Amino acid sequence: MKDSTMLAGRGRRFFATIIDVIVTPIVGVAIMLVTGILESAEAYASTEQTVARVLLLAISSYFVVHGWLLFSRSQSLGKSLLRIMIVDNSSGEPASFWKLILLRLWALPLIYLLAIPMAAIIPILDQAFIFGKSRRCLHDYLCSTKVVKRP
Amino acid sequence: MFHIPTPLNALIKTAAWTALSLLATSTSVYANCDNTDIKPGLKQQFSTSWGIEYSGERFQSSAKTSINANNASTLSLKWAYGLSTNRPRSYPLVTEDTIFIGDGGNGLVALDKETGCVRWENTSIKDISTSIVSEQVDGRTVLVFSGRLSGVHAVDASTGDKIWTSAPKVHPVPMFSGSPLAYKDTVFVPISSMEIGLSANPFYGCCTTSGGMAALDIRTGELLWYRPTVEEAGSVVTGTHFLFVEKRGPSGAPVWGSPMLDTKRDLLFYGSGQNYSLPASLTSDAIFAVHIKTGEIAWVEQFTAGDTFNMACTTSVDHPNCPSTMGPDVDFGAPPLLTQMPSGEDILIAGQKSGQVYGINPDNGKTVWSTRFGRGGPLGGVHWGIAANPELGLAFIPISDVPAFPSDLPPAPGLYAVDVKDGSLRWSVEREAACEERSCWAGLSAAITAGPNIVVAGAMDGMLEIYRADDGEKLWSYNTKKEYDAVNALPTKGGTLDAHGAMLAGDLLIVSSGYGSFQQQEGNALLVFGTTEEQAQ
Repeated sequence: MKDSTMLAGRGRRFFATIIDVIVTPIVGVAIMLVTGILESAEAYASTEQTVARVLLLAISSYFVVHGWLLFSRSQSLGKSLLRIMIVDNSSGEPASFWKLILLRLWALPLIYLLAIPMAAIIPILDQAFIFGKSRRCLHDYLCSTKVVKRP
Repeated sequence: MFHIPTPLNALIKTAAWTALSLLATSTSVYANCDNTDIKPGLKQQFSTSWGIEYSGERFQSSAKTSINANNASTLSLKWAYGLSTNRPRSYPLVTEDTIFIGDGGNGLVALDKETGCVRWENTSIKDISTSIVSEQVDGRTVLVFSGRLSGVHAVDASTGDKIWTSAPKVHPVPMFSGSPLAYKDTVFVPISSMEIGLSANPFYGCCTTSGGMAALDIRTGELLWYRPTVEEAGSVVTGTHFLFVEKRGPSGAPVWGSPMLDTKRDLLFYGSGQNYSLPASLTSDAIFAVHIKTGEIAWVEQFTAGDTFNMACTTSVDHPNCPSTMGPDVDFGAPPLLTQMPSGEDILIAGQKSGQVYGINPDNGKTVWSTRFGRGGPLGGVHWGIAANPELGLAFIPISDVPAFPSDLPPAPGLYAVDVKDGSLRWSVEREAACEERSCWAGLSAAITAGPNIVVAGAMDGMLEIYRADDGEKLWSYNTKKEYDAVNALPTKGGTLDAHGAMLAGDLLIVSSGYGSFQQQEGNALLVFGTTEEQAQ
């Protein structure tokens, strides 16, 4: 597993990300429709109220789409379909759930939010790291993970 | 030579100007009053609300203004102040030495009337969208105004210090876009709703809120009574889309125009807007008369039935939130006015966005006469305010007719004078635009103001004009659409004249130029004019 030839190809990672980026909001919309969380005037009664509901919707959408796969197989939906997975960089073992959720999912978005004036450039910078020799995005470095082909 | 196409050129200019303005605004350039007493004089106030007087006539008699038909032609610009917004919508309160006005992101400012220097500022309220009104409370002068979303605010006129803020949650998403009116112990506050815009979201279940009128205690801001325009708003489910999103009604009928007050009958008169969703109510596009102590309805009279419209319809008529029977969107935004006929009897006059003008019996709401000018539309017809001159027995009707919805009728933008007793036309002025850009239109959308034998009208093309009231002859005009050297050193330019219109106060004519809404020409110029004789003194 530590062999660099097992690293996932950039193309697969790209298409896995595209799948996730498309599927997660679609499920989010479905949840929004069923629950009516943003359907009524009450949802817009204050900025805090609206932001809280949008965050809740985003979190629940992510868990519905990816939660079980991340917990059981260290994969998002896109990664599962393209047969790649997230592993700990040093051990090569499937990354722990808390690392996948707390760090991979929330650390970077939080940094984005805190660095609002530069927010647009951070995701680009994050993804640009994939072109490095170890094919690890910035969030991989932050979480000590890498993405490999599923054996 | 390389030539940038005109629209692109305009876009680049606009972007550069906006960036420059924002940069300058962020560095807070002010002309503070170093050699002037910072305490405003408060012995004399020249207006009470958007309708200037309680009667809503928007008329300043010779006791309130020295500008008249004899000296109007000598008006010239005294000074300009750069506001921190490109869509100013705050009607100033003027005293013997001070102009109080909402200054966009700078909040409320008190400007010296002669020089424009800043006596004080209250920067905590950044969304002022109404006239500044005042009342005497326990020996001090209290200024009251509304922020579009932040609610109603009361501050001490001497210092600008906050007294109270009140955002009555009469429904979840109130909007305070109409000018309040203060009378003795009570502040009357028009209530609109954010649902007009939320409806554009297809996943939003339009709509469940109603417009209305709230009465607040002027000492505390506490809600005394609330009169919704639509009873049981949102109680009917009229359908679903996307399987789950419920459409509801009736809703809307917002009140976004200023009310007017009849102190003889103790009645408050105001107009309502269109319904946001089906089913339409019997109280949209209506004039309300309510008792000022209780909010009980004395009478309500609807003038256009079945008018349902919201912002979803501006994206597509197939939008799931656009009502299937989309109405013409012809609210009453202009405050009704109460004036006297030559017989001595009162008559209530109301102008609608349809271009229809009504003479109404104030005791029962019955129509005495009606007449129509222009073709009307979502931005008028009559948009922000009509005026009357009780000395001449004339009412003055500004017509916008800006293109919005397709219409077979020809536009007729201009100014019309009618006899208050029967609505018959006495004279009219059809305008032609002073410029050719798409955003430049000849229409009169802004509220107009009447004075001693004069009518002051601001046009969407940026022209500020004064007409003789008894025959419509143009006495003076000034193109406000240009750049100015402002006393506070902000990049300052004029544009469309809209919304609250001009103020006549003492020896001054005051107007803000620029209105960057609805694809019109933005600008941030607060302009103060005086007559030659006044400036010679």
